[in-house]
Amino acid sequence: MRRSIPAALVVGVGLLLLLDFLVVNPTLGAISGAIVELVVILFAAAAVLGAILLAVRHAGALALPGGDRIGSALVLVGMAIVLVPGLMATDGAAAPSVRWVVGALVVPIGASLLALVAVFLIPAARRGMRLRPRDTAVILVAACVVVVLLLPLGGDVGAALGDGATWVLDVPLRAVFAGLLIGVSLAAAVAATRFLFGLAGTDD
Amino acid sequence: MTEPLGGLRRTLPLAFVAIVAVGTLVGIRLDLGPGAGPAPAATSLHADLAELGRGRVLVGFDADIGTYAEIRPAVRAALAQLVRGGATISMVSYTPEGRALALAELDRLRRGGVEPGRLLDLGFHAGAEAGLVAGVSSIVPREADGALAAALRDAGAGIGAFDAVLVVGGNDLGPRSWVEQVATRLPEVAIFGIVPTSLLPQAVPYRASGQLAGLVAGAREVAAYVAAVRDDPTTGAVQGAAQVTDEPPSSLPVLVGLLLTLVLLAEAIASRWRAPARGGAA
Repeated sequence: MRRSIPAALVVGVGLLLLLDFLVVNPTLGAISGAIVELVVILFAAAAVLGAILLAVRHAGALALPGGDRIGSALVLVGMAIVLVPGLMATDGAAAPSVRWVVGALVVPIGASLLALVAVFLIPAARRGMRLRPRDTAVILVAACVVVVLLLPLGGDVGAALGDGATWVLDVPLRAVFAGLLIGVSLAAAVAATRFLFGLAGTDD
Repeated sequence: MTEPLGGLRRTLPLAFVAIVAVGTLVGIRLDLGPGAGPAPAATSLHADLAELGRGRVLVGFDADIGTYAEIRPAVRAALAQLVRGGATISMVSYTPEGRALALAELDRLRRGGVEPGRLLDLGFHAGAEAGLVAGVSSIVPREADGALAAALRDAGAGIGAFDAVLVVGGNDLGPRSWVEQVATRLPEVAIFGIVPTSLLPQAVPYRASGQLAGLVAGAREVAAYVAAVRDDPTTGAVQGAAQVTDEPPSSLPVLVGLLLTLVLLAEAIASRWRAPARGGAA
């Protein structure tokens, strides 16, 4: 009984959305529109709830001895730096103070963190070469080839690289990723069907 | 026993960052920027956006803060091309990061002299892919005012009210989500994309199948597209937001990084060969 209610809900909602996709009917459109709106509201509520829970958890961690107080304080201060200007301003996220926080703090920090990936990749590659030399070598050679092919260079060298990049993108890469996309879609469809027919394992 | 090269090894990451930074600065100073190699996708996007003319363009702005620097020159060049052509630009975001970046770009366009009536901020829409689906029927918020908002409401107030969509990707909600959720419902709306290299593999099949009307991805195509917009012979002298001011990333730091990577890997291989030899001698 417990399993049948969510399954019935999934079947009902899925069929409604599918029918709306196939049949032009104002009533059906209104019903599926309302369902989609409900999902949007659920998403928004989940995001707000997640933020509140994060704040509560880290506020609690500040009071606990032996916890990562500095980390929790940083999380709370970071949230406050973004939230307070937005809540105080009448135009919310469009307020100049919020734009300044994003432009002067969040974007440079985010970009710097991603740039650090390059630095950490090199020691990781060295370690990989020592532990699993063959596998790591294949990955690194492939990565170097792709990076070189995608280099924006002009002249004859650039033209040759461009031709190579076009071939790699259009033939092997496209084949692999098209196969992946189709495979993932099929797997999702099979998993959904198994769930609908009650064939999924008890742990699903 | 202390490793003789331990200090040097510990400073290598710092040296790497310093060399890349110096390489970037030298590259900019000496104008060692990229040559715009052949990139048919970039030429095609340039031609397609030029055809839009004074049309209504929706920019789905969901770039990622970390990778936005890679595609920013192409995004700004695309916005400049749309401004030159006389198109109206409406921006919507489905991710908080995208919303933050979209606000900055809208602000830049306003400061660049684009008439307020040609810009519309459609804001942040919650719900991820469900939000996208909801946008098919209604994307113009109630509080939006002005002639552009009114015209969009007259045309149905959904994504179908636009002539084309330009998706700025990088986050989870990239061109793939737009094709899956929007193109299937509104096949008449052309969807274009600009994405970083990390999203290139998953976006390429959609470009090849024609579900994406155009796609610029990765440094090569970004450079080629920026060059195509900057050197467009059909537009005369332009000012403000219609100008292309951002330079695509230089190849020099990438080459320096590759060289350093190769040196480090050679060192790793050499030390691996040395280790058994030492063991054998002992």
